[in-house]
Amino acid sequence: MAIVKMKKATMIALQSEKNEILSSLQKFGYLQIVNLEEQMEQGFEELQPDSDNEAVGRLEAKLSQVKYSLDFLGKFNKAKKPLFAQKIQVDESKHKEYLENEEKLNEIYEDCRSIDSKFTEIKSSETKLNNIISQLNPWLSLNENLEDIGATKNTNTILGFIAGKYEEELIAAVNAEDLHAYLVKVGAEKENSFFMVTYHKTCEEKIAQLLKQAGWTKVTFSEYSGTPKDNVERLKSEINELENIKKELVKKAEALVPEIGFLEILYDLISIEKDRRTVVKDFVKTDKTFMLQGWLPEKFTGNMTKVLDGITDKYTTSFEDPGEEDEMPVLLDNPKPVKPYEMITDLYSVPNAKGIDPNIFMAPFFVVFFGMMVTDAVYGIFMSAVTGYVLYKYKPQGGMKNMMWIMFFGGISTFFWGGIFGGWLGDLIKIKPWWFNPLDEPLRMLIFCLILGVVHLYTGYILQAYQSIKAGNFMDAIYDQVLWLMLLTGLIFLALPPLAVVGKYMAIIGAAGTVIFSARSEKNIFKRLISGVLALYNVSGFLGDVLSYSRLFALCLATGVIAQVFNAMGVMMGGSIIGKIIMVAFLAFAHVFNTALGVLGAYVHTSRLQYVEFFGKFYEGEGKPFNPFRIKTKYIQE
Amino acid sequence: MNNLVEFMGNSGLWMAFLGSAIAAGLAGCGSAIGVGIAGQAAAGVVTEDPGKFGKTLLLQALPGTQGIYGLLIGFLIWSKIGVFGTILPVTTEQGLMLMLSGVPIGIVGLISAIYQGKASAASCGIIAKRPEEFGKGMIYPAMVETYAVLALLASFLMLNGIKL
Repeated sequence: MAIVKMKKATMIALQSEKNEILSSLQKFGYLQIVNLEEQMEQGFEELQPDSDNEAVGRLEAKLSQVKYSLDFLGKFNKAKKPLFAQKIQVDESKHKEYLENEEKLNEIYEDCRSIDSKFTEIKSSETKLNNIISQLNPWLSLNENLEDIGATKNTNTILGFIAGKYEEELIAAVNAEDLHAYLVKVGAEKENSFFMVTYHKTCEEKIAQLLKQAGWTKVTFSEYSGTPKDNVERLKSEINELENIKKELVKKAEALVPEIGFLEILYDLISIEKDRRTVVKDFVKTDKTFMLQGWLPEKFTGNMTKVLDGITDKYTTSFEDPGEEDEMPVLLDNPKPVKPYEMITDLYSVPNAKGIDPNIFMAPFFVVFFGMMVTDAVYGIFMSAVTGYVLYKYKPQGGMKNMMWIMFFGGISTFFWGGIFGGWLGDLIKIKPWWFNPLDEPLRMLIFCLILGVVHLYTGYILQAYQSIKAGNFMDAIYDQVLWLMLLTGLIFLALPPLAVVGKYMAIIGAAGTVIFSARSEKNIFKRLISGVLALYNVSGFLGDVLSYSRLFALCLATGVIAQVFNAMGVMMGGSIIGKIIMVAFLAFAHVFNTALGVLGAYVHTSRLQYVEFFGKFYEGEGKPFNPFRIKTKYIQE
Repeated sequence: MNNLVEFMGNSGLWMAFLGSAIAAGLAGCGSAIGVGIAGQAAAGVVTEDPGKFGKTLLLQALPGTQGIYGLLIGFLIWSKIGVFGTILPVTTEQGLMLMLSGVPIGIVGLISAIYQGKASAASCGIIAKRPEEFGKGMIYPAMVETYAVLALLASFLMLNGIKL
């Protein structure tokens, strides 16, 4: 089966050799270490939980330095990121050299820190200067030195502003009172009017009162000398200077950008070591020894002993089969073409260790349905060519790689279905369909889609039966699936005249069996029969499931007809030579757009058919994916 | 009815046009609303993490298909009555049938796109908090789309049965 059999490994070895053993186990990469702390409670008082917190803390600190420097320098890195990044190759013998180059790391880190803090400083001074400038701006036309504003022996001069709407009122009031005062409007900004007021000290009280009525806000520039204009110019030149310093700093930072490579390598190397130190907390120890426990694929048990033998002979291991209550992690082993489809299943739920791996059954249906939903031979060639080129040229990894393979196979399938139903860029290239044109014979197409649906659903029921048999419940498979399939097949046969008689008996046996056995855990005979009759209603559920496959036709129709719409629009343009050029460009764009649309629709709806209709019949997910203790890197080749 | 027929000059052509307008117009409105709703939620997610743009865009695109289905039926009605070549004579009865064939995708497209947009918006929450569960987030809006697909099929089969 496609779910890999696991063994539970227990190992005891010497503390003094722990680091070396862990290093090789990490490189070995097939052991998922489990936490032993819970088991310790069962009467092993002499065992202590192990840990290496001091080293983990030290490494984390170092890692955060590297990460900070990487993030900081990343902002200055002008090199464009490639769409599919290649990992850096680092020779293993150089690892040590990188790790021990603490001086270089410290230097880069300190440089980054100091540049960063200077940036912050400059930014805050700039904000401050800009604030002052905006305060001085309304006073630019005041041709007085700021230090002259204030009191003389008999007079006083003040600056301030009032809301513009009280301006006339204030001037009128001052004039009406015939005060020894002189108001100059210096400027206006937004809703405010800015005034310089000079008055004789004898009328100070009266002026103060009038100003207060007008809503006067006093402004002072006691620290400044010279005219406001001079001051603004001076401040602006200060800002310019800051800009220059900033440019210098940017240059300094850019000079550090080449170190990003070093930092990336270091990041991974430190992460690897940190992982190795962190895993220790799952062990238990005595004074001189430690014990670890973990899951590993059965076929790798020999390799593990070989790895350990390479280091020491002072250890002991045992490999046990998983017990009833053990939650075995799930590792899938599928043939290469099926591998990418594991991603589709994992997006739904990881297979359960006690269930079955559906991928090998799901993948063919996925390919077929995906192709049917796009159904255009040229689109298929285009999809396979693009994804094939990317796969060959850029060698993407992980999810991107899987996606590309899924599209690649989907493209091939799309090509065939396009040929079968005669879709070559919609109706642009007229090639006779190998089978028939769904637009001309929609009912035939619909029935074909529903038949495919029945096959898909039957596969689901059969897998459920297989699952029951595997679990040792042979009769469950008979009662639940075989009788049910008999009923369904009988009903389908009823619609086909030559088989109607056989169908009638099959349906009757299936229905009777379902009524009697479907609720067999129920003791009360009446309740059991009533539940059994109710179970027959699932036939309508099955009907709904089958009709759901009509989406195969609908989406195939959508791609084909939209392509035709584009073609019709394009042909309208193609009058003159220029029109023909525009037409070709338009058609190229339109068909690529339609391909993208078709692929999105096909992906979503094929997934839905798998998740809802197919998996709903048998699939048990919620497995725990196998996550071995291994070398995990972000930047360098593993 | 007879008065109406006389009033319209005994031609079903305008009804056929009304049918295509219902199909393309209503379904297009639905998609516009649905894509809008999903886009608002998607923009919120991207403010937090710009790296999720691609995934949220995919979710936003999902309620967009109804508008396309509507246009598709509209186009089939037009090509049936010969808008792109010579216009065929359409009797009132045929016109009424053509109009009705645009109704399923028009109405179901309008409503399903709006609700699909809401489901997409909710799925944007999945992308924000648990991006690894993206696949499940795609399925919820796709469940709504089923009915638009069925309506498209209904419209198509109705249309296909009309002989001019």
